[in-house]
Amino acid sequence: MMQANLFGRVISLIAKYLFVLFLVVLFFFPVAWILLTSIKTTGDIYAWPPVYIPAHPTLQNYHTVLFGSKLGRYILNSVIVSSLSTLSVLFFASLAGYSIARIRFRGRHLLLMFFLSMSMFPQLAIVPSLFIWFRQIGLINSFMGIVLAYTGLFSPLALWILATYFRTIPLEIEESAKLDGCSRLRILWSILMPLSIPGVIAASLIVFIQTWNEFFLALVILSKNLLRTATVGIALYPGEYAFPWELITTATFLAIVPIFALTAVFQKQIIGGLTAGSLK
Amino acid sequence: MVQRKLNDSTYGLLLVAPVFIIVVGILFLPTLYTIGLSLSNFSFLKGHTLRFVGFTNFVSIFSDSEFVSSLANTVVFTVVTVFLELSIGLVLALILNRSFAFMGLLRTTILFPWALPTALNAIIWRWLFNPDFGFFNTILIQLGLTSVKTNWLGEIPLSMYSMMTVAIWKTSSFMALILLTGLQTIPGDLYEAAEIDGAGWFSRLRKITLPLLVPSILLALLFRSMDAFRAFELPFALTEGGPAGSTQTLSLFGYRQFFQFLKFDTGSAVSVVQFVLILLLGTFYLRIFRTENE
Amino acid sequence: MSRSGKWVAFAIFAFAAVSVAMAGGKQEPAMQKPVSIQFAISPREVGKVIPDYISGFEKENPNIKVDWLQVPGVPDEQHTLYVTNMASQADKPDVLAVDVIWPGEFIANGWAAPINDSFSSSELSQYLPGMMNSVTVDGKAYGVPLYTNAIHLFYRKDLLDKYGLSVPKTWEELASTAKEIVQKENNPDLVGYISMWAQIEGLFMNYLQFFWGAGGHFFDNAGKASIDTPAGVKALKTMVGFVKDGLAPQSIITYKPNDAMALFRQGRAVFMVVQDFVWPMLNAADSPVNGKVGMTRVPYFAGHPDASTVCMGGWILIVNPYSTHKAEAARFIKYITSEKAGLEMAVQTGSMPARNGMDANAQLLQQYPIAKQLYADFAVGDVRPSAQAGARYPELSHEMQLEIHSALAGEKTPEQALADAQKNVTKILGK
Repeated sequence: MMQANLFGRVISLIAKYLFVLFLVVLFFFPVAWILLTSIKTTGDIYAWPPVYIPAHPTLQNYHTVLFGSKLGRYILNSVIVSSLSTLSVLFFASLAGYSIARIRFRGRHLLLMFFLSMSMFPQLAIVPSLFIWFRQIGLINSFMGIVLAYTGLFSPLALWILATYFRTIPLEIEESAKLDGCSRLRILWSILMPLSIPGVIAASLIVFIQTWNEFFLALVILSKNLLRTATVGIALYPGEYAFPWELITTATFLAIVPIFALTAVFQKQIIGGLTAGSLK
Repeated sequence: MVQRKLNDSTYGLLLVAPVFIIVVGILFLPTLYTIGLSLSNFSFLKGHTLRFVGFTNFVSIFSDSEFVSSLANTVVFTVVTVFLELSIGLVLALILNRSFAFMGLLRTTILFPWALPTALNAIIWRWLFNPDFGFFNTILIQLGLTSVKTNWLGEIPLSMYSMMTVAIWKTSSFMALILLTGLQTIPGDLYEAAEIDGAGWFSRLRKITLPLLVPSILLALLFRSMDAFRAFELPFALTEGGPAGSTQTLSLFGYRQFFQFLKFDTGSAVSVVQFVLILLLGTFYLRIFRTENE
Repeated sequence: MSRSGKWVAFAIFAFAAVSVAMAGGKQEPAMQKPVSIQFAISPREVGKVIPDYISGFEKENPNIKVDWLQVPGVPDEQHTLYVTNMASQADKPDVLAVDVIWPGEFIANGWAAPINDSFSSSELSQYLPGMMNSVTVDGKAYGVPLYTNAIHLFYRKDLLDKYGLSVPKTWEELASTAKEIVQKENNPDLVGYISMWAQIEGLFMNYLQFFWGAGGHFFDNAGKASIDTPAGVKALKTMVGFVKDGLAPQSIITYKPNDAMALFRQGRAVFMVVQDFVWPMLNAADSPVNGKVGMTRVPYFAGHPDASTVCMGGWILIVNPYSTHKAEAARFIKYITSEKAGLEMAVQTGSMPARNGMDANAQLLQQYPIAKQLYADFAVGDVRPSAQAGARYPELSHEMQLEIHSALAGEKTPEQALADAQKNVTKILGK
C-alpha cells in the first residue's frame, strides 16, 4: 500500500517536472530560433537539408548590426521612451485608480466606463488625426509627444488593473491610517502602492512592453533617424523584396534583451515572494 | 498635518482630472474626428468638396462582401482565441501560483512570447510554417510523423487555425499574468478552512478561486477581447489576410481602406463599426459578471 | 537612504529624464544661409550610394544641405508614412522616392508637384519611356524615375544542359521542359517552377505577365477594363494548372519573393520567376547554385512573340507639393538621376538607373555584365495600369489579387474569378 502510494507520488512529481519543462520549451523556442539564426551565416540560414545548430557559428551579424547600423541608438531611444511612458502612466493611472477604487464620488463609475470605452477605439484610425494635431502643436519628433500619446493610449488599462488591485486591499488598513492622520495621497504612495506591488509591476510591465513594441505611432511621430525606436529601426532592414534574416534576427534579439532583463529581475515580485493573501 | 479641506467628491474628481484630460486629448477628440469622417464623403482628391452624407458609408461597407467576411473572420477569431487563451492562462496561473522546481525558469520564459513585437513574431512563425523548408514540416517529416508537407498558411480553413495558434501562443502568458495577480489576492486561510472541511481540489477551485477571481477574469476577458477584435499586425504579417481573404480581419480591412485605398471615409466607418461592436461586447461582459460597481 | 532622500533622488532622475526628452525634440537651429532639404528613401536597395550622392551634391552646391530620412523598405509601411505626412500637408520631406505604382494616386490627390518648369523636355526624354508614362498625366510630368527593376525568368542552366534542353521562350515550352527535368531527375525535393503567388502585389504582376503573354491588354481602346477575356482565362487557367499538375508546389500560394529565392537557392527548383534582386544572392560564394543560374525574359504564350511580358517595377522621385524648397529639390533630383550617378548606383548596388542608353554604356557592362540582360528584359517590359487607374489603382490591384488567389486556392473556377473581377473592377473604376 505504502509503496504504491510512494510510486504514485514519484510519477506525479516527474510528470509535473516534465510538464513544466515542456512549457518552458514551448514559450522559449521562437526566441531560441532567433538566437540560433543570428549566429548563422547566410549559407546556414538557407541551407538544405536544414541546419538547426550551426557547426560554425559566427558573430559577424552582431558586428554588422552593432557597428554598421544605429541599432544601439534605437534601443536607447526605446528605453527612454518606454521608461518615461511607464512612469507617466503609473503616475496618472495610480492617482485615478485610487480615486475610483476608494473615494466615493458621484460619477466614478461613469468615468471608469468612459476610460474603458475610449480605449476600445481602433488605434489605427487615431494615428492620422493624432499626427495632424501633434504637428500643429509642435510635438512631432519629440519624446514628449510620443510619451504623451502613449500615456493616453495605455492609461485606461493600467488604471483598471490598479483599481482592481486596490479594491482587494482591506479597508481597515486605510481606516487606521486615516485615524493616524495620514492624508489621502500619503495613504496612496506610502501604503497602498507598496502593498500593491504585484499589480503595479504587472501594470508597469504591460505598459513597458506595449510601448516598446508599438509601431505605427512611433513610425509617424518619431520620424527623424536619430529618434527612431528599436521596433521601427528594425523595420528598416527589410528591402522591397529582400528579407535579411541575418540582420533582423540579430537586431530583434538585441532589442528584446532589455525586456528579458526586466522580466528576469521582476519575475520574483510578480509571482513568487508573496504567498497568497499575506498582506501585512 | 493638513486637514482635508476638500470634500470627497471634489477630491476624487481632482485626482482623476489629469488622466481624464490626457485621455480626452489623445483618445476622445480623435475618436470624435473619426466618427465625423465616417459621416462624410472625405477624399484626398484634388478639388473635392467635403459633404455630410449620413450613413452612406455604412451602407456601402455592409454591402461589401469583403467587409462582411472580414467581420465574420474577426468574430470567429476573437471567440476562439479568447476562450482558449483564458483557459490556458488560468491553468498556467494556477501552476505558477505554487512553488515548483524550474519555477524561476518558467516564470522568466513565460513572458517571452509576449515580449516579441507582434509583427516580428508573425514573420518568424511564417518562416517556421513554410511548407518546403520551414521548421515545423522538416521536424515532423524527419521524425517520421508524417510524409505530407502541410500547407499551414495556404489552405482554407487551415490558415485560420494556424493564425489562431500563433495568437494563443503569444497571449496565453499575458492572461496568466493578469490572472496570477488576481490569484494572489485570495487569502490563504480560505483554502485552509475549506481543506479542513474536507473540500477537494476541484470544489475549492469552483467555490473559492473562481468566484474571487472574477474581477481579474473580467479584466483579462475584456482587454483581450478588445485586442483580438482589433487584430491587425498578426494577419498583416502572417498571411496578408489570405488565402483569398480568408484570414482578413476587420482591422486589416479598415487599414486597407485608410492607408492603401486612401478612403478615409469608409475606413472611418469601419472603425466606428468596430468600436460599436466592442462596446456591445464590453457591456455584455459587464452585465454577465454583474460587477461590484460601488 | 532616508525617505526624503529617496524623493530627492527620484526628482533628480525625473528631471534628468525630462531634460533628455526635451532635448530629443529640440529643433535644429534654423540655418539662415544654407537651405536644407530632406530626402526620403529606404536604406536598402540603393542605400549604399546615397551618402556618396549627398556629399557629391553638397560639394557642388555649397548652400544646399541634404538630410537623408531613412524610411522602411516595405512599400506598404512607407506608403502609410507618406499618406500620414501628406494628410497633414507637412513640408518635409522635400524629395520622396515612391513606388512606381503610387504616382497615379499621388497626382490625383495633388501630392506631387509638376516638374515641367524644372525639367526641359529633352531632359525628360532621357528616362525610360515606360517609367515616365506612369508619372505623366495629361501631358504634365510629376516626377522622374530613379531606378527600375523587373521580373525575370531564372533557370538552372546546369540542368538544362544536362538534358540537352534549350531555354524556353514560351510557357508551353517551359512547362514541358520543367516536367521532363523533374521526371528524369527523380528528386522528390525538386520542383519545376516557383514564384511569388501569395496574396500580394507581386501576384498581380505575375498574372499580368501571363495575361500580356496571351495578347491581353488591361484597358481596351475605349479605356474600359478588359479582364474577362479569352486572354485572361488562358492566363489564369495556366496558373491554376501549374499548381494542379504539380509543376509548382502547393506552397507557392504562400510564397513571397524572398521565399522563392530561398527555395531556388537550395537548388530545389528548375525555373523561378521573380524580381532581379535575387541575382547577387544566388551567385554568392556560399550559394549552392552559384554559377549554375541563367536569367532571361519572362516567356510568352505560343503565337504572341511580340508581347511584352516583363512586369516592371522601380522607384520614382517626386517633389513634395508643400515643400518650400522646390527649386533645390529639383536640382538634387537632376543630380542623382544623371548618367554619372546612375552608373555609380548600378555598380555599387545592382539597381539599374531608369535611363535610356545604359545598356550601351561600356563601363557599366564591364563592371556589371548582367546589366546587359537586365536592360534587354526591360525592353520587352510593361508597367502595371497604375497611371490609367489613377487613385483607384490600389483598390483595383487588391481586387485582382483576391480573385486570382481565389482561383489558385481552389475557391472559384478561373472563369468565375475573372467574371467577378470584371464586375468589381468596373464598379471600382466607376466606368
